[in-house]
Amino acid sequence: MHLRSQPIEFVLFLCASLSVVALILMLLFVVMEGSLAFTRLGTQLILGLRWETNSDLYGGFPLIYGSLMVVSGAFLIAVPLGVCTSIFIAEVLPFQLRDSIKSVLELLASIPSVIYGFIGVTFLTPLVASIFGLQSGATALTASLILAIMALPTIVGVSGETISAVPSEYKEAAFALGASRWQTIRNVVLPLSKSGMLASVMLGFGRAIGETVAVLMVAGNVAMVPTPPWNYLAPVYPVTAVIAMQMGEAAVGSLEYSALFGLGLILFIITFIVNTIADAIVRRRPVGRDVQI
Amino acid sequence: MSKQTEKVIFAILGVPMLICMLIFLWILSLLLTGIGTVRWELFTMSALRGGMLEMIVGTIYLLLGAAAVASPIGVLAAIYLVEYAPSGRLTRIIDQAINNLAGVPSIVIGLFGYTFFCRHLGLGVSLAAGWLTLALMILPIVIRGSEEALRMVPASFKEASLALGATKWKAISSITLPAAAPGVVTSVILGMARVAGETAAILFTSCVLITRGLPKTPFEPVMTLSYNLFVQIVALGAPAQRVFGIALVLFMIVTSLSLSAILLRIHYRRRQTWLRMKG
Repeated sequence: MHLRSQPIEFVLFLCASLSVVALILMLLFVVMEGSLAFTRLGTQLILGLRWETNSDLYGGFPLIYGSLMVVSGAFLIAVPLGVCTSIFIAEVLPFQLRDSIKSVLELLASIPSVIYGFIGVTFLTPLVASIFGLQSGATALTASLILAIMALPTIVGVSGETISAVPSEYKEAAFALGASRWQTIRNVVLPLSKSGMLASVMLGFGRAIGETVAVLMVAGNVAMVPTPPWNYLAPVYPVTAVIAMQMGEAAVGSLEYSALFGLGLILFIITFIVNTIADAIVRRRPVGRDVQI
Repeated sequence: MSKQTEKVIFAILGVPMLICMLIFLWILSLLLTGIGTVRWELFTMSALRGGMLEMIVGTIYLLLGAAAVASPIGVLAAIYLVEYAPSGRLTRIIDQAINNLAGVPSIVIGLFGYTFFCRHLGLGVSLAAGWLTLALMILPIVIRGSEEALRMVPASFKEASLALGATKWKAISSITLPAAAPGVVTSVILGMARVAGETAAILFTSCVLITRGLPKTPFEPVMTLSYNLFVQIVALGAPAQRVFGIALVLFMIVTSLSLSAILLRIHYRRRQTWLRMKG
């Protein structure tokens, strides 16, 4: 430790390490509260097929499947849109417009999820119901659409940053060799920012899988794997939604209460891994390496 | 490749951006259509009589408290990371932990807040528990924003003050920090904007559907706009026109916070020409 004789430095260090302490406490307490579920349910908590509170059955598979289904649907929509948008903003859009477009995206990112949920319930759900002739428009598809809108600003923001991190000398060199703007983008900018884009997608994934309120309001909340499993017009019950809906009724210390913390731990671990990998990718950005045109 | 094809490719790339902008306009127009149905006198009427006063004030209480907890810690942490932290394993771990904290799903933060702040610290479902829970979400935003602001202050500022005999802390606290203040404030406002509409984290930690008047101590539960909007739709199945007012006010609070952060940033980056800009 580097405390030396400076008390002020120690105070600063304590503040900085508070994030580490918070993460450790979080892990500790969620594990502690979930321990009953781990010992009683074991792998059932992840692999069990039935989640029925009334019969004290806590199989998390349909919930985890629901989460993954909603997030992958959202990403099929948001990733192509987001990546194209970030390329367009960074490389094509006239300089004067860039800041205002970025500000609009920032505003879009700051809209709270409960408002997205409200918009989903009031406008999107009836729309989906009438387009596909369903009784209720609260489906995995609706949740994916809302989630895609919510993930877009994250993806655009982070991949845009990696694109503008490409040194302009590289682009100028390509131009000097007679490459057109598109050739430069395709052969110089994109290969260099590929990893950053991957990181942005992973960060977006971490956000999306932890999204609760908006998804809960439009996903239909039926704890079953849809039949067939790729049926996006069926309702699902994502992990986050289950926690939010059932926490209020679960008696402290009951198996249900513990199972909800178990689900929380699964979410914690998934996002922790995804974020750590995304971080590692960003750190190892290959800018400065030799480029082949 | 001809100029023509290139133009076509760029046009195709532009379509997704247009879609993003259209989505924003769509959301804006949806929310604006509700303005006609809102009765403005509800803003100042107590919730016991169907108004929104306690929700609006409760949201503001929650926000200010959380920001008050998170900003000093966040700014000091940023100072440590920028000015003091040796490059080594420990610093890398701290850095990584801040990113990971920012990525923890808000519902998990809510679970943690419930078991740690409400139960183990004995705060119960209360304003104070909400402050601490939301502070965990604001903290990474304040740290990252303040770090960036501190790094943009030229080293020569601090060096000049050191040369005049100031101690390191004196130089930082009276020269670097004031110069970085606009950026720091921006990050705090952005952090507040991010949690102003937060629902999942305060669902079990500090909110109730209805209170008798405003909380008098931090150990009482509060009403917030986000929680009420959520419960009225999900649990009570309220029709859109009944909750439109809540959604609109919440939207306006969040948008004005982030808009002021954005404008503040643009304003000061133009004025403080000595900032060390990236790229």
